[in-house]
Amino acid sequence: MNGIRVFITGMGVMSPLGNGVPDLLDSLKKNRSGIKPLSLFPASAGNLFPAGEITGFEQTDEVPRTHGIALAAAREALAGRNLIPDAIIIGTTTGGMPRTEELLKKGEKGADPYRYHSTSSVAEYISDVLQCTGLVITVTTACASGTAAVKLALELLRSGKAGRVLAGGSDALCRLTYYGFNSLQLIDPIGARPLDRSRRGMTVAEGSAMLLLEAAESAPSTAIAEVMGGGLSCDAHHPATPQPGGEGALYAMKRAIADAGITAADIGYINLHGTGTLDNDLAEARAVCALFGEHVPLLSSVKGATGHSLAAAGAVEAVVCSLAVRDGLVPANTGCTEPDPALNLRPVMEPMRKKINAVLSNSFGFGGNNACLVLGDPGIRRAISPHKSAFRFEVMGSACVTGAGDMEKTLHNLKQGKDCFGTLPLADISKKLQTREVRRLKRLPRLSLALAMDAAGSAAQKPSSIFFSTSWGPLSETHDFLTKLFESDEQFTSPTDFIGSVHNAPAGQAAIWLKANGANITVTGGDYSFEQALFAAALAAEEENLLIMGADEYHEILSPLFDGSARIGRVPSDGGGALCLKRGTGSSRVLISPLFFERSTNNRGIMESLMRSLDGPEHVRSGYAAIFAGMPAVHKAECKKQLSEFISGTGFSGPIVDYRTLLGEFGSATSAAAAIAVRFAQNGALPPALAGGASCTLAGKGILMLGLGNCITAIEIRA
Amino acid sequence: MQKLIAELKEKIIDTLDLIDVTPEDFKENDRLVGGKLGIDSIDILELAMMIDKDYGIKIDNKELGQKVFATLGTLAEYIHKNRKG
Repeated sequence: MNGIRVFITGMGVMSPLGNGVPDLLDSLKKNRSGIKPLSLFPASAGNLFPAGEITGFEQTDEVPRTHGIALAAAREALAGRNLIPDAIIIGTTTGGMPRTEELLKKGEKGADPYRYHSTSSVAEYISDVLQCTGLVITVTTACASGTAAVKLALELLRSGKAGRVLAGGSDALCRLTYYGFNSLQLIDPIGARPLDRSRRGMTVAEGSAMLLLEAAESAPSTAIAEVMGGGLSCDAHHPATPQPGGEGALYAMKRAIADAGITAADIGYINLHGTGTLDNDLAEARAVCALFGEHVPLLSSVKGATGHSLAAAGAVEAVVCSLAVRDGLVPANTGCTEPDPALNLRPVMEPMRKKINAVLSNSFGFGGNNACLVLGDPGIRRAISPHKSAFRFEVMGSACVTGAGDMEKTLHNLKQGKDCFGTLPLADISKKLQTREVRRLKRLPRLSLALAMDAAGSAAQKPSSIFFSTSWGPLSETHDFLTKLFESDEQFTSPTDFIGSVHNAPAGQAAIWLKANGANITVTGGDYSFEQALFAAALAAEEENLLIMGADEYHEILSPLFDGSARIGRVPSDGGGALCLKRGTGSSRVLISPLFFERSTNNRGIMESLMRSLDGPEHVRSGYAAIFAGMPAVHKAECKKQLSEFISGTGFSGPIVDYRTLLGEFGSATSAAAAIAVRFAQNGALPPALAGGASCTLAGKGILMLGLGNCITAIEIRA
Repeated sequence: MQKLIAELKEKIIDTLDLIDVTPEDFKENDRLVGGKLGIDSIDILELAMMIDKDYGIKIDNKELGQKVFATLGTLAEYIHKNRKG
C-alpha cells in the first residue's frame, strides 16, 4: 500500500506584489517591488518608512483587514471548485489588531466592536463563510506561522483525518507591528535589501495566502505542487534574535528534507526567509552553507519585493515556491545589488527560468521558531511509506495554576467543595522563578514558566517540543505597548513590550528554560485553545517527550472587552494547566487522547458525528465514569442544550463537572481542568465534593472532557 | 557630568526594572552590556527609547548603540555633547 501524498490543488494570494496569483506571477517575472512609503495610516513625525501594502483591496466595515484579505485569498484558492474544506489551519499574529488598536486609540469602551479581535477569529470567520464545520486551528508562532500551518495541514492529511484542508496565513499592517519592529531598530529606512552588503533591516508588510491541500495516492490533474515534507524546530536561544550560527534553522531544514524523503542534493531552489536584518541573514546563510557545503542550490529571498508579511510570509512564499515548481520561475533576490561577501551566498539577481523539481522554503520567527517546507513537482512519481501518527499520549507530569494557587492548593479547594476563583498575585506565581531572569516578563509568561517548571519538574525526562495555547495572548504587554505609543503621539513605545506581546513569547521563554529544541507551536482557539494544542501536538510532535500547556491572564481593561465570558464571570479569574506527555501507550500511566473537534455553527449533524467518534452511546455509558464539561458563560444556554442532548442521546448517568463554575471564566480553564482530571485519573477517583456528595471511583473508566458552545470537542483521559 | 551620571543610574534602574540593583552597583567605566548588571541587547533598545524620550537624542542603529552604550561614562558623554539647549 502506498502512503498518502499531499498536493496543492488551489492557491490564492493577496500581497504588495499583486492581488491574485496571476498578478503575483507577473510581478515576480518582472522583478517588480511592491515596497512603498506607508499610506495605510498616518505615520508619526520622523517615522515614515517604506512598507509593503496591498493596494486595490476594498476594505469593508464588516471585519478587520486581516480577515478581509484572508477571505479574498481563500476564495481564490477555492475558485471554480464547488467544495468545502474538511479543516482550516491559518497562521496569523495580528488577528483583529488593525481594528482593535484604532478602537483603543479612540477609547472605545463597548465590547461589541472588539468581537473580531482574537487571532482565532480569522480562521473562524473563514470557516463560517466557507461553511466548513471541521477542525479549525489558528497558529500564532510569529513569523513562522504560515509555514507551520502548512506543516500541520500536511500531517492532518497524512493522518487520514481529513481529505482536503485549507491552510495559509494572513497578517494586515498595523501600528503594533509597524512601530514595534521600528522600536527594535530592525527597519531598513530605504526598504529591505536581503543579503545585500549594506542591508539595514526588514520592511514590515501585509499579505495573505491560502493553499487548498488535498490528500491522494497519486497526483490529481489539478495538482500544482506536492507538499513533500516539513520540519519544525526552536532555537531555544533568545526571544527576538536568531542563534548566530543558525543551528536551529539548520535543524528545521534538515528535518524538512528528511520528512520529504529526499536529500539536500535534490533541492533545486531555496526560498530564503531572508528578511534583510543583519542577524537573520547571517544566521540563515551559515545554516545554508552548513547544510549544502560546496553545492548550494539557486536561492533568493523575495522579501525585498514583498516586504515581510509576518505570519503570512511563509504562505505567500509557499505560493511563490509552487510557481517555481509549476512554471520553472526562479524569482530574483529583489533589493540586493551587492551580495554581502560575509554571507558567502550567491543569490539569484534576476528572475530566471529553470526546471525545478524540489524547493526548500524557510520561515523563522520570534521565540526562535523555525519552520521549513519542501515542495516538489507533483508529476514525479514517488513511493512513500504509510504515515502513522498516534493520537494518544502518556502523561508524565502535570501542573496547574488557578486563583487558589498551584495544583496542590487547587486540589485541596476542590476536595473541600470550594471554588478556585481569582487571580493569583504575581509574586505567588513567580515564587519559584529567578527574579533577575523574569524581570522583563509580565503576567502571562510568568504563568507559563511556572506551569512549565512544575509540569516538567514532575516528569523524569525533559520535554523537547512545546505546544502552547492561549486564548488572548500576552494582554499586559499588548496593552502597555499601545498605551505608551498612544500617550506619546506614536513617538515612543517599549521594545520589550513588543517582543513580549507576541502570542508565542511565553512558549519561547519556556523553550529557553527547558532547552527544548524541537517543534514549538503556539495556537489560539478561544475557549477551545487547549484542544487545538492537543491536536497540533498529535500531528506535529516529532520528539518523544513534549510539553503541552495553556494559559491566560486576566487583564482588567482588555479581558472584559475581548472575552464575553470574563465580562459576565462573577470573579475575575485566570491561570492555566500543563502536561508533560510522551507519545504512545506503553505503560501504566494515565493516557490522554484528542478525539473530536468540530464547529457547531451551521452543523446540524454535529451530535451524531460526536457520537460516532466516541464509538456510540453504549461506549460512552460503559467507558466513562465522569464528564468534565467546558461551558463558557457567554454561551451557557447553548452549552446546556448541547449537554442535555448528549446526555439524553447516550443515557450517561455519572457525575458531570461544570469546571468553569469552579475555576472561573477564562479561555485556558480547559488546560487547568485537563491537568486536574489527570490527577483524578491517577488517583482512580473523583472527590465526593465534585460527584454530588457520593464517592466516585473510576474503576478503569475514563474521564470525558467535553467542550461545548461554538465548538464541540472531546478529549479522553484514562488510567 | 556627575549629576548626569547619577540621574542616568536612576533612570536605567527604573526603565529596566532592575529591582535588585542600586546606583552604587554602577561603575562609570564598567561595560553596560553583558556585565554583572545583567543588561542585554533588548535593554539597550529600551534605553535608546528612554534617551530619545527624555533627552531628545536618537541612537537608532546598532553600530552607534554599541559605541554609545559601551559604559555609563560613554553614554553620559554622548548625551552631554548632543543635548539641545
